[in-house]
Amino acid sequence: MTTQEDLARWIARVVLQDREAFERLYRATADHLLGLAIGVLHRREWAEEVLQEAFMNVWYGAQGYNPQIASPMTWLINIVRNKAIDRLRSGRALREASVELDDEAMNVADDAALPPERQLDDSLTKAQVDRCMSQLAGQQRQAIALAYYRGLVHAEIAEALGAPLGSVKTWVRRGVDRLRGCLEAAGIGPAAGGRAA
Amino acid sequence: MNYLLPERLDALAREYATGTLAGGARRRFERLVREQRAAQLAVAVWQQRLAVLAEGVPRVAPSPAVWAALQQRLFGGAHAAAARAAAAREPWWRTLGTTLFGTPALGGALAGVLLAVVVLRQQPDWLGHETYREQLPASYVGLLTDATGRPTVLASSRRHGRTLTVKLLQPLAVPPGKVAQLWALPKDGKPPFPVGTLPATGSGAVALADTSEKLFFTVDRLAVSFEPAPAAAGAAPAEGYLLSGHCVKLW
Repeated sequence: MTTQEDLARWIARVVLQDREAFERLYRATADHLLGLAIGVLHRREWAEEVLQEAFMNVWYGAQGYNPQIASPMTWLINIVRNKAIDRLRSGRALREASVELDDEAMNVADDAALPPERQLDDSLTKAQVDRCMSQLAGQQRQAIALAYYRGLVHAEIAEALGAPLGSVKTWVRRGVDRLRGCLEAAGIGPAAGGRAA
Repeated sequence: MNYLLPERLDALAREYATGTLAGGARRRFERLVREQRAAQLAVAVWQQRLAVLAEGVPRVAPSPAVWAALQQRLFGGAHAAAARAAAAREPWWRTLGTTLFGTPALGGALAGVLLAVVVLRQQPDWLGHETYREQLPASYVGLLTDATGRPTVLASSRRHGRTLTVKLLQPLAVPPGKVAQLWALPKDGKPPFPVGTLPATGSGAVALADTSEKLFFTVDRLAVSFEPAPAAAGAAPAEGYLLSGHCVKLW
């Protein structure tokens, strides 16, 4: 079982251009990271490109990892998620104009992905904070899940849920804040109140 | 607006970490994060908190080609042969069905679709002959101007790619019932051949019949005409060109 300490050690070795550590890091995390990217991009092909780009960044940018502000997995997750979101948003026009093949590929990826809300539920269960789920209203859950797992922005969430934009903004904001409270109460996430500034 | 007010910063960091910060606001905030430690910390706190949400994401094993390509791109030459051999030993579409769908039967039924995608991706450059950071990848690039010389369409395609990316620099007034047809004009005097149709605005991707290298090697000009329907292979432009420009190799 790979621990966060293992990951941190390997990242530190990657700074020194240790290829073996780089491979261990990849092998230990790629499945998880690809799952995240597929959730956002719906296309395995693009998700794998994002994964590849992300690990290029890891190799060249490992010295930028600061263990004091992020766990290794959080660091990796955010590299991949941000790349996937950027790709999603820059590629939206492309996707809309794309050929039939792409549509089929998207359907396949859709079948493979869990519904966002299920992922939210599973995540909180795995982190042993199931009760945080019950503290969120249904609309808050849906809105947070579409934002986090699908990379949708407020207007898109509003469209997906058939709800007014203002309501969606409120659901996401209040939902995430409530989640913060619940996670902090459970001792999960950054300590010391979380106000960084 | 003072982004560094603690409450403002916390709200922006929350939106950024959740993913709902978009467009210009997202880019501005990313710049702030690069430059300001307070912003960096605010984001880190939210990202760490929300990382819990990633726990339940279903794992998907990447194809062996991803690691092979990474090695090739990062470490180049010495790894290339080994990487290709590894990819050849285990073509990833063969294992894809089971990794993605669990059941081989379902996987098999969908493998055809995925295979088609895979084939599109199995190009030499994807395995990385380009240098990562500084250089643009070897590509064919065209800039088409209208009759007054205004740049109108930017087209580019990786040398060994099979997709042509197009960007409309200004909207194209495509008459109703017509399509904007892109043509490639070979320099050896051979007749123009159709490449694909363009969107009227924004960006698009044109799937190519072959790799750019094969299609555009002898092409030195691109042009656009309005046609009643997308031109088939072997067809000639029915109407005059509205846009044209050079097609050059970027390497």
